[in-house]
Amino acid sequence: MIRWTKIKAIATFEFLAAVKRPGYLITTFGMPVFMSIYGAVVALPAYYAEKRKGDETAVWGVVDRSGLLALSGDARPSDTRLPDALRKTLEAAGQRGAIARAIASERFVFRPFPDEAAARQAIAARGVKGYFLVPEQYLDNGDVNTYSPGEINLSLSDARRAFERLLRERLVAGLSDGRVAARILTPVQTNRSFEVTRSGGVREGGQAASAVRIIVPLAFMVLFLMSVLMTSGYLIQGTATEKENKVVEVLLASANPDEILGGKLLGLGGAGLLQIGVWLAILTVGGLGIVPLIVSSTVEFPRITLLLAIPLFLLGFLFFGSLMLGTGSLGSNMRESQQLAMMWSLTAALPMIMMALLIREPHGIAARLMTWIPITAAPLVMLRASLDPGYLAWWEVAGAIVVLAISSWMALRVGARLFRIGLLSTGSRPGLREVLRQARLSA
Amino acid sequence: MIILSFERLSKRYGQTTALNDVSFDVPSGEIFGLLGPNGAGKSTLIRILMDIIRADAGEVRVFGEPRRREHLDRLGYLPEERGLYTKQTVIDVMTYFGSLKGLDRGEARRRALAWLEKVELPQVASWKIDRLSKGMSQKVQIASVLLSDPELCVLDEPTTGLDPVNVRLVQDLLVERRAHGRTTILSTHHMNQVETLCDRVALINTGRLMVYGEVGAVRRRHSLPEVLVHARGALPAVPLVEQASGNGNGVWRLRLADGVSPADVLRALVERGAVIDRFEPALAPMEDIFLRVVKEAQA
Repeated sequence: MIRWTKIKAIATFEFLAAVKRPGYLITTFGMPVFMSIYGAVVALPAYYAEKRKGDETAVWGVVDRSGLLALSGDARPSDTRLPDALRKTLEAAGQRGAIARAIASERFVFRPFPDEAAARQAIAARGVKGYFLVPEQYLDNGDVNTYSPGEINLSLSDARRAFERLLRERLVAGLSDGRVAARILTPVQTNRSFEVTRSGGVREGGQAASAVRIIVPLAFMVLFLMSVLMTSGYLIQGTATEKENKVVEVLLASANPDEILGGKLLGLGGAGLLQIGVWLAILTVGGLGIVPLIVSSTVEFPRITLLLAIPLFLLGFLFFGSLMLGTGSLGSNMRESQQLAMMWSLTAALPMIMMALLIREPHGIAARLMTWIPITAAPLVMLRASLDPGYLAWWEVAGAIVVLAISSWMALRVGARLFRIGLLSTGSRPGLREVLRQARLSA
Repeated sequence: MIILSFERLSKRYGQTTALNDVSFDVPSGEIFGLLGPNGAGKSTLIRILMDIIRADAGEVRVFGEPRRREHLDRLGYLPEERGLYTKQTVIDVMTYFGSLKGLDRGEARRRALAWLEKVELPQVASWKIDRLSKGMSQKVQIASVLLSDPELCVLDEPTTGLDPVNVRLVQDLLVERRAHGRTTILSTHHMNQVETLCDRVALINTGRLMVYGEVGAVRRRHSLPEVLVHARGALPAVPLVEQASGNGNGVWRLRLADGVSPADVLRALVERGAVIDRFEPALAPMEDIFLRVVKEAQA
């Protein structure tokens, strides 16, 4: 029989002991500061390079033998090409850099040259980045050649697109119907993508939608893995300390191993989750998180996935935490304990390792099979529910939760037995035979 | 009333027999001495009582019923191999140990502070454990165990490493517990403590119960038929005495003849004009009994 008062007492002590530790506070609040500084150090040079590029007008030459462009001086294309929906989404997510990159054509200026010799001279003098040659027969064959120095020029394709836009503007200038001209210039002014799911439903599509649908389960997996790894670290460290400090017998004389294990999982798990919560909050407040993207986007996101995340996270955490702590406690020292617990960390990371396959075939045989395996059930349900909820049957979700619940309970029992054996063993690590013998005795 | 019974308890570790069919009772309200040489099986017995390990055979009964996990809240335990969370404060650790025994945190904290006063360490409440001296740490551990006022408490060598002042302090705490009807099992190698504190003892050797009973009865049972006489001047010869030896300071040890009681000898001495200040049966010291039993078992 498990007594909740014991679990509560142990959980409270472990939680308070963990969060009061200087190392915990430094990691919790120092990590975002460190990451911000690191990000700034990495991003600043790139930002300034980009800014300089953005401020700088790129001048390209044009040798127009066809006479269609009728350029009398420097010219630039007049419009942006960014779809409204995407622009709004990016603005809401604070992605102004992406907008700036997308409307890069605005920074191109096209300067007419009477002949190629003059244009080449301008290239040699670094007065222009290159030039476009529009031949006399352009209307017949559409040939346009580009000339530029032999250096690597990453903005060449941007320049070509901007020049195409200039050409279109000049070609339609004579048309009397402005609407036709507008449609030639911008054939698709606004665009929303929809996806037809395998189950026949229609849902929001496009890049933003796909990103959100992948980001949510991916974030789940990353947070899940981080929680499991961090908490297992605390658990193993705590158990090693108890062995070292010889408080084990006092604990076991007051609570049974299930209660100790449960209390530690709750307390230290809570400390781990609080840490992640703080990081998420800082990320969200900082506007760098995915939350604003989800909230502001018009993407039809399966909200049920977020609801499923909570029980799946907790059950998965209980499952891995129990096994990691039980296995880890068999180690005779900290290093050995970490090595023993490592196999569970690798197992927990399996869905991440197989992510590419799972995204490509979220309802393939592998994904379906992994939905029923306790070690992968939680992230798989999240992934499948997020990518295409219509194709995930309710009984698969319910089944996975039941499998996970039963496995977690069993893991808790097995973990508790290993934990008891590990706590009472001193000196060298008990061998498999000894573990089995002790497990039989403690039944 | 019997508060604890071990009934035919056996336990083996591989080829080693730790306990072999051990049975005895602990009456409530006593200080009970659990004695035995190192490796005799005492710790195994205690661990089985506290449900830390399981017996291969036999039963433990506490409070008149088979021992269950729920009973542990009414038991206290200070193990021989003990320690505290070194990075935590004294008050936090004591509160935790109290709450593990079923007290709510507020009550546990209140009692912890009271017990620190009792063991004369009120100033260390906010100290980290690793700042405590060995003796302080020992007293904090004892206070942590006793603060839940367990009905039955097992203390394994509670006074090891304490100075005489603190040994007395701990002994007084045990006597106070007894006065309140609480039972204490004292596992110790200090035989003088057994003689002065314990009401009853059990001596275990090589996993077997060798000696059990009230301390006085055990000592009488293992004593030779002798009396100690503190007399002024020479001691008159008495036919009931087989042998008399004096230490020169007026203390005589008299070996009685078969079937003669100490009262007979006292009467005879008084009749013959001896001036006696003190007269007592010469009880065997617990240490002698311990050594004799262990030696006999080895032989």
